Amino acid sequence: MIDHPSEREARAFVEGQGLRFEPGVDEWAGLYENGRLVATGARAGRILKMFAILPDHQGTDALGQLVTRLRASAEAAGHGDLFVFTAPDKARSFEALNFRMLAAHGPVALLEFGPGLEGWLASRATLVRPGRNGAIVLNGNPFTLGHLHLAELAARKVDNLYLFVVSEDRSAFPFQDRIRLAREATRHIPNATVLETGPYAVSAATFPTYFLKRIEEGTEAQMGLDLELFGRRIAPFFNVAARFAGDEPLCPLTAAYNRAMEAILPGAGVAVEIVPRLALEGAPVSASRVRTALEARDWPLLAGLVPPATLDHLKRMEEGRP
Amino acid sequence: MRIRRKATAGTMQSSDLVVTVEPSEALGIEIESTVKKQFEHLIRARIEAVLAELDVTSGRVRVSDRGALDYAIAARVEAAVRRADQE
Repeated sequence: MIDHPSEREARAFVEGQGLRFEPGVDEWAGLYENGRLVATGARAGRILKMFAILPDHQGTDALGQLVTRLRASAEAAGHGDLFVFTAPDKARSFEALNFRMLAAHGPVALLEFGPGLEGWLASRATLVRPGRNGAIVLNGNPFTLGHLHLAELAARKVDNLYLFVVSEDRSAFPFQDRIRLAREATRHIPNATVLETGPYAVSAATFPTYFLKRIEEGTEAQMGLDLELFGRRIAPFFNVAARFAGDEPLCPLTAAYNRAMEAILPGAGVAVEIVPRLALEGAPVSASRVRTALEARDWPLLAGLVPPATLDHLKRMEEGRP
Repeated sequence: MRIRRKATAGTMQSSDLVVTVEPSEALGIEIESTVKKQFEHLIRARIEAVLAELDVTSGRVRVSDRGALDYAIAARVEAAVRRADQE
């Protein structure tokens, strides 16, 4: 029988099966037999995780029952596509439920339910250009002269440059504004294309702790997954042979992500180029510096940190106009 | 019958399938199956037959199948469409 275990009961069970408990769960599903909990799974948003099954119940259809329940609640909550985090040796059990493998790195594998990535790539086929192309993945929260500097420099080194703007809406500036400002600021670069990452790069599915801005247990595995997915699935589709990023003197998480890029992407055939950050008055130009300057209403400094489109947007925000 | 809203029927257990239908201008059928290579054409034919019987001419029908037999396919598709036809 499928029921909802309490978080306390589920936690004890999951940890008893040697899995790491992660808080922030929207729903637990538990399979009970004669009143005894024999299997669990959890859902956080569109992500399924923490599947644990007692050894003597493996090989039954416990997983199918748990996923049925969690899928139904995900759908009721408005989530169409689902992802699952699991151990690579459990990936086959999910493939038997029609999940598809996205990427594996070290102790974790990421799969999705349905043909999401392939459909997503196919719908962007008109953006594919031949050549030796480059990519930048950026949040652009908001788009700065540092981003622009990096884009201009990268665009000169490749045939076509793709600017992937992070779709996940967990930042101070909403996605629609972030991508519009990236488009406006790079309009003069003839070989640049701006597009969104969807859920497939730096997202709640591939790299959830990015949005926490601190390094936790599991962060390294997430970065690895995110980069394996980029290097092995996204980059080949767009003929991307090089990924560019600004060096990161301040934020330890971004610095660690840059190091992970250098460690993982070349193995997938994508060269990595870390470019020195643009500096203004002795300090690097960054989006966090822009947000601090915005709080201080330091307009002369802001004018030196962001391109005209972003400055315009910030001024309109200040005046309370959309 | 008309697919007026999103609806689902079925489970992800072995020998069963999940059918999700939602409104769409064209009629489209998408099939995921553990036995896709061997049986996709038969699964599709069964779904098309049920939709024709129910006089459904538009909608997006997605199926995730784990080796269900054809009467299960027919029952799940019909259940999903009947749920989607309710206001």
